[in-house]
Amino acid sequence: AEICITSMDNYPLYIRSIPTQGELKFHYTVHTSLDVVEEKISGVGKALADQRELYLGLLYPTEDYKVYGYVTNSKVKFVIVVDSSNTSLRDNEIRSMFRKLHNSFTDVMCNPFYNPGDPIQSKAFDSIVSTMMVQAC
Amino acid sequence: MSRQSNRATDSKKMNSELFTLTYGALVTQLCKDYENDEEVNKQLDKMGYNIGVRLIEDFLARSSVGRCHDFRETADVIAKVAFKMYLGVTPSVTNWNPAGDEFSLILESNPLVDFVELPDNHSNLVYSSLLCGVLRGALEMVQMAVDVRFAQDTLRGDSVTEIRMKFIKRIEENLPAGDE
Repeated sequence: AEICITSMDNYPLYIRSIPTQGELKFHYTVHTSLDVVEEKISGVGKALADQRELYLGLLYPTEDYKVYGYVTNSKVKFVIVVDSSNTSLRDNEIRSMFRKLHNSFTDVMCNPFYNPGDPIQSKAFDSIVSTMMVQAC
Repeated sequence: MSRQSNRATDSKKMNSELFTLTYGALVTQLCKDYENDEEVNKQLDKMGYNIGVRLIEDFLARSSVGRCHDFRETADVIAKVAFKMYLGVTPSVTNWNPAGDEFSLILESNPLVDFVELPDNHSNLVYSSLLCGVLRGALEMVQMAVDVRFAQDTLRGDSVTEIRMKFIKRIEENLPAGDE
């Protein structure tokens, strides 16, 4: 499984995978899924920006993985990749994972020492993500 | 003697996040300007001092505490009235030394440091130095010279924030306090 956060220019602010072998495969999957994200958000013209619109849902299923997307109004994108074999993760759980990620991300933003656009190095953020990933896998 | 002034006894509500972010921006700007943690600590303390000498007037006008008879009373007033009024937290007063002129204020939470994580290159920064200056300045205006410093800081990994205050002497001469 992997969690990735990209800025509005699509360069990564934070990438975390477990297990760490085969990371490259995850990175590739995330990269291609960014195209799908772009497509979805450009299509939403008249939609109101409420919570549901931020969650993009299952972006596309490959034979091994399921990829979920979430985008903020500031065009920061969150992507979660999980094994297809992990059928126990329901939509609600993915939604709540994204919400937690978004809240933690907001906290990182509020740190006066963090410059937007820098890679995220906050320890508090790391520990929240670790807990979430352990629960998910 | 005139009546207590007509200042509103309930403070106007303001979003605390704006306050925290403002303080954060202030500290980071000072870090960029001075590039030296010790210097930033000194500047924050100076700024705090200037706030304190003015804030004491506001405090005395709003709360109706009379003159404190001893340092213990002062400690209680600071913790239970002043901190509550301005920061919305009530620290506990502990660790009195045997002579009764030094004590600690233990803060479970410090609104100035919500969301803040100190990066490794600023390990000597005492982020909330402003508070030290405020306490020092305010007490100086009521004729008490004190030394204020941080003994523990949650930003440095401690479990609580501890401010140590030491009474130095009563200020007898009535010199007008200038800005530092």
